[in-house]
Amino acid sequence: MRRNLNELEAGNLLTKYGIPMVKSAVSHSEEDAKEKAEAMDFPVVMKILSSDILHKTEAGCVITNITDAKQVKEAYREIIRNAQTHCKDATIEGVLIQEMAEKGLEVIVGMKHDPQFGPVILAGTGGIYVEVFEDISLRLLPITRQEAKAMLEETKLIKILRGARGTVYDEDALIDILLRLSDMALVNPLIREIDVNPLFLYETGKGAKGVDALIVTSDSDTGHPCRG
Amino acid sequence: MKENLNALFCPENIAVVGASGNPAKAGYTILKNLTGIGYPKKIFPVNKSETEILGLPCSRSLSQIEDTVELVVLITPAAMIFDIMEDLKLRMEKQADIKVIICAAADYGETKTAEGIQRQNCLMETAKRWNIRVVGPNCIGVIDNVNRIDTTFVETHLPRNARVKRGGISFISQSGAMAASILMMGDSRPVPMAMNKFISIGNMADVDFIDLLEYFETDEDTNVIGMYMEGYPQGRLLIETLARIARKKPIVVLKVGRTEMGAAAANSHTGSLAGADAVYDAAFRQYGIIRAQTMEDMLNTLRALDAMTLPKGNRTFIYSQAGGPGIYCMDAYMEAGTMELPTIGSQTRQRLADSLPAMANICSPEGYADITASASVEQHVEGLRSVLDDPAVDAVIFITVVPTFLSRKALGEALKKLLQEEGYIKKKPVYLCIMAGIYVHEVRSILEDSGIPTFDTPADCVKTAGHIAMYQCFLQKEAVWNEA
Repeated sequence: MRRNLNELEAGNLLTKYGIPMVKSAVSHSEEDAKEKAEAMDFPVVMKILSSDILHKTEAGCVITNITDAKQVKEAYREIIRNAQTHCKDATIEGVLIQEMAEKGLEVIVGMKHDPQFGPVILAGTGGIYVEVFEDISLRLLPITRQEAKAMLEETKLIKILRGARGTVYDEDALIDILLRLSDMALVNPLIREIDVNPLFLYETGKGAKGVDALIVTSDSDTGHPCRG
Repeated sequence: MKENLNALFCPENIAVVGASGNPAKAGYTILKNLTGIGYPKKIFPVNKSETEILGLPCSRSLSQIEDTVELVVLITPAAMIFDIMEDLKLRMEKQADIKVIICAAADYGETKTAEGIQRQNCLMETAKRWNIRVVGPNCIGVIDNVNRIDTTFVETHLPRNARVKRGGISFISQSGAMAASILMMGDSRPVPMAMNKFISIGNMADVDFIDLLEYFETDEDTNVIGMYMEGYPQGRLLIETLARIARKKPIVVLKVGRTEMGAAAANSHTGSLAGADAVYDAAFRQYGIIRAQTMEDMLNTLRALDAMTLPKGNRTFIYSQAGGPGIYCMDAYMEAGTMELPTIGSQTRQRLADSLPAMANICSPEGYADITASASVEQHVEGLRSVLDDPAVDAVIFITVVPTFLSRKALGEALKKLLQEEGYIKKKPVYLCIMAGIYVHEVRSILEDSGIPTFDTPADCVKTAGHIAMYQCFLQKEAVWNEA
């Protein structure tokens, strides 16, 4: 059976494998939300935690730039209300409080089990227009450090990464993330799909931070093709 | 089982079941091709009603042939498969000699009908029981120019001496029609393109891409492998096999189903899983497998890889006799993004300035020369020599529109002398384009006959030169990575 990990679970799993993700906590009441938010630094982002609601922004279930406890409580009420209006039958697992990451270059990294080829890794230009720009490079796993670099060099993103507009971004951090993603996929064949988009990439030396993530798992390793 | 594949390319006698005396039938063309190529051993046509076809006595059935038969070609209506397999059992119980069946006939598993599948099962069950390898069904057969086998029903106009010319290209096609067309296109070049082994695999009920790739991997007569493919159910295994071989012998793949609708058409054709093309594409790039975009591109690239040495890198000089074609070439070159324009040394510049017409454009931009229409045959050739001598140049694209006042034949002979007799073609690849069309077949034939590939257009040169440069870069990158 296939199952989508919720955003919190996905984030935690990625963090466990050394892929830097924004700090997240789930809250179950206004008061709980306030405490969790105060434990992080303001501003924070709040969003609904529910596998049933896919387009959270459109459903009014994401509120950004929340700067104090009062706003946290208001946001909590609004998100729950919008979620219920938008999708009556949705199972609501709580409201997520997330550190509001400093904006960086939007990158996508991911992995998918292809029914014929097994695990395939992906990297490229991220953001909401991924499918439009299609600036994506793929590789069969496993990959080496050099191969990770070579795959980035196939994208248009590489020019931006290497300073097309002045800022030189942390290419090494991105390569590290691809290699960790590769390890994570190979160690856990039950993970069928990983999508981190956007991953904010910062200037050299400052690393990266994943903002949104999706992981699909399966309880049987059926789709794995035979290896020669 | 590989031993049995030897019998596919070098069988001890061949039986053609469904041989026909009617020149309009495939069963006739197969016999004609087999005799035409000069198969040195015995051919047994099997036909119930005729006594002799093309001078060969007919047998009524497989079991009635007294001599050894290692290869059987089936070109009968599919419904007859049950009777033929019964007869084959009789023969195997007695002689146990058949090693390979090529089932050229169609209307088997590919139809996805219960009847078609049942016919294919009957063929495969019998074959398995006797350890017989099966090629097809639904294929056009096999050619081996070394062992002089041609079981195809593709009409050929080639004279016999041109037919058995052997090259180092071995080719596998999933589609019979593409296979036939590729053969015919190869035959239509200024000098017919020589292959080593050629096989159409159809439904792949048994013998498939991987069997043949592994066979060609160790086949000493195979220098380079070509493939037309629509899909293969075990993509990963196929890629791993291709990746292993590509490090030793270059592989050029024409994989169709690049678009979503193309893949849909592929799925309904050979009945094979097309697979996500983007993943195939990434894997080809990852493992140094050359992907051709068109049939012409594939044939050109195979020919160039077979005939010439690999360049040391991707620095490819454009040497043109005329401005227009040179610019046309430069645009294609830059768009391909596969090669780098070399900066030649001051000595080479001086040599070019000394030998070329005064109005020649030398290295503006870098890596490009236009020797102009006033260049003599000697200037054509000596300029090329200077460029090839420069250590910054890994390969040259040479374009000429032979002016009416120059002898095309003299140019062909002079280029042949430099490249073949003085051995320049063994040092660096030269992608020669002599424009254009049928008007220059004679001069191209002089070069092709001596083993130097020629191209129709500058854009064709760019495609092939780019593929080969990328392949070389892959091999170098691999070597560096493995050291690190």
